[in-house]
Amino acid sequence: MSATRSRSAVLGRIRAATTTTPHAGTYESLPRAYRMQGELSSDQCVALLIERLREYDADITECTPDALIPTIATQIAKSGRSILAAPIGLPEDWLVPGCDWRVDHDLSHDQIEQTQGVVTAATCAVAESGTIVLHHGPAEGRRVLSLLPDWHLCVLKTSQVVETLPEYFARCDAPPALATFISGPSATADIEMTRIKGVHGPRFLNVIVVRD
Amino acid sequence: MIHPVLDPKLAPPFPKAALPVLRNPQLRKNVAHATDVITSKRGRLVAEKDDWQALRDAASALRAHVLENLGTYLEQFEERCTAAGGVVHWAADAAEAREIILNILRDENASEVIKIKTMTSAEIQLNPFLAQNGIEPHETDLAEIILQLGKDEPSHIVVPALHVNRSQVRDIFARTMHLPDLSDNPQELTAAARTYLRKKFLTVPTAISGANFLIAETGGVSVVESEGNGRMCLTLPRTMITLAGIEKVIPRYRDLEIMLQVLARSATGERMNPYTSLWTGVTKGDGPQRFHVVLLDNGRSDILQRERERQTLKCIRCAACMNACPVYRQTGGHAYGSVYPGPIGAILTPQLMKMEYAQSLPYASSLCGACYEVCPVKINIPEVLIDLRAKVTDQERNEERRFFDPLYLGMRMANKVFASAGRFQAAQRMMRIGLKPLTGKDGWIRSLPAYGARWTMTRDLRGVPQQSFREWWTSRANGKAKP
Repeated sequence: MSATRSRSAVLGRIRAATTTTPHAGTYESLPRAYRMQGELSSDQCVALLIERLREYDADITECTPDALIPTIATQIAKSGRSILAAPIGLPEDWLVPGCDWRVDHDLSHDQIEQTQGVVTAATCAVAESGTIVLHHGPAEGRRVLSLLPDWHLCVLKTSQVVETLPEYFARCDAPPALATFISGPSATADIEMTRIKGVHGPRFLNVIVVRD
Repeated sequence: MIHPVLDPKLAPPFPKAALPVLRNPQLRKNVAHATDVITSKRGRLVAEKDDWQALRDAASALRAHVLENLGTYLEQFEERCTAAGGVVHWAADAAEAREIILNILRDENASEVIKIKTMTSAEIQLNPFLAQNGIEPHETDLAEIILQLGKDEPSHIVVPALHVNRSQVRDIFARTMHLPDLSDNPQELTAAARTYLRKKFLTVPTAISGANFLIAETGGVSVVESEGNGRMCLTLPRTMITLAGIEKVIPRYRDLEIMLQVLARSATGERMNPYTSLWTGVTKGDGPQRFHVVLLDNGRSDILQRERERQTLKCIRCAACMNACPVYRQTGGHAYGSVYPGPIGAILTPQLMKMEYAQSLPYASSLCGACYEVCPVKINIPEVLIDLRAKVTDQERNEERRFFDPLYLGMRMANKVFASAGRFQAAQRMMRIGLKPLTGKDGWIRSLPAYGARWTMTRDLRGVPQQSFREWWTSRANGKAKP
């Protein structure tokens, strides 16, 4: 069957199957009685996020906005890594001295693979599930940037933290073309249900929470 | 071990296929362990959500709404995906989907392709087809590589290798990856897979994925995973092909707020799966620059036509039903003779085959309702099972040779016996005498002759008791009842 013929055949069968059924209602009238809005205070919310991320074995550090740059430097030093990738729009002062920074001016996959870690910003974080959301803007980098390096240092502001997943979607003025939701480092439980960290993505997730 | 046949056209009926598993204690132990772990994790995490039932209601209503308006949402998806630089193909059946994918791969001069775990590609038997046509498919999900390298078949839709234990994985990896010194430590096994696949990710320029959700509003596609192999496949290659069942569409981006909350908890007993990716057509400088979506019907529009069975298509493939199913927990997935095992497989497979194959599957259930209770989109699986059983019986009754079939003759006789109390009591007395020599000391019958063997082949039969309830009741009224 040719492609256009299949298209009209499939759509035709679908139409025939659905025109006779009673219309259950519009999209707007669908039930949404689940929890949309969290009840926790901002501090409790951040505390919950940190607890959940730690359950995923992520490494969390808190700091004030003034201490961000030294905190980034300390975390990088502590990790023992020095060859680092950076998204093209990462604030320049985050590129702390003492490291070999590879800013993503069209880096090849091999060049990114040869770095030891990456530093990015984030769009949002959901406390209830311990999820970091990236929309891959200039400071968050291309998708591949937070994927190939073994270590991901993500800088998150407390103003970006929401309690529930619906609150994140309420914040999206327009749906993004690209998004990655990260809930802890890469993991598998395929062998006898034993949770193993880091199969293919970054094995280590390090989050700096900035109290802004 | 016998190589499982997961083609419903060729697979033996369920009771026959289940036998080797029931006689394999290691396999049963592996299956029981995995399903126990997921079920208890799931229970704990569902309990902490006070809005769980509200989420189920929302998820169920949303999926039902999509199915009622499927044509509209698919056309909207097609339009937006195309506008974003994707190419949308429609495949009426498995053969057409395979051809479309092969042609795209040939245009790309591909000799190999990396794959994100996709049940839909298994449904259309894509891997053997590609291999026959000179294109080597590489599975990248850890469980899927275990199966691919071990020449085994998936037995679960979320944890496809749950029937294999660590020492079996070790043997497969040691042999196929040439690592004789590999231990059976899961950490080390996982690291071996990581090294083995990293090179493939960086060098193979074409990839195939399934889709968890297609978003009509944006033309975007979403894939939910744990390991990051999905992210590798959908960002590194030059060309990406997504194969998706037509039922996978959801109306808007924000609907993920429902679906993601119910999916991870139901599937793996986690608050959220480690990675969820969403992409829309092609994005300059980020990810594959050529993107194809193949929308697969393959029997789905037939299911849509039957109002009660339509709910089968609400399924989001979380596998909670199989983990909860007392039958699946004993037999594992291979006995179902389909890539879709468990309760959902028992209703989905015969319907996808247009009720021409897999007729034993609607009977592979105790109708206990555990599957309905855990289903995050509230598919009433027992209701559909009963409906399909009726269809199978109707089909069989209408076959002419059935008129002389001993089973149906027996059934017609039984019908007469059950219709009269006198005849029923007489039959009971006859059975008590007739079955006595076959009944063991413990009151159980292990093996019946002739047609009865079809029952005792897979289960024991309780012998006829010395006294029927009716007899006991009468003697009780006469004051002679034994306690």
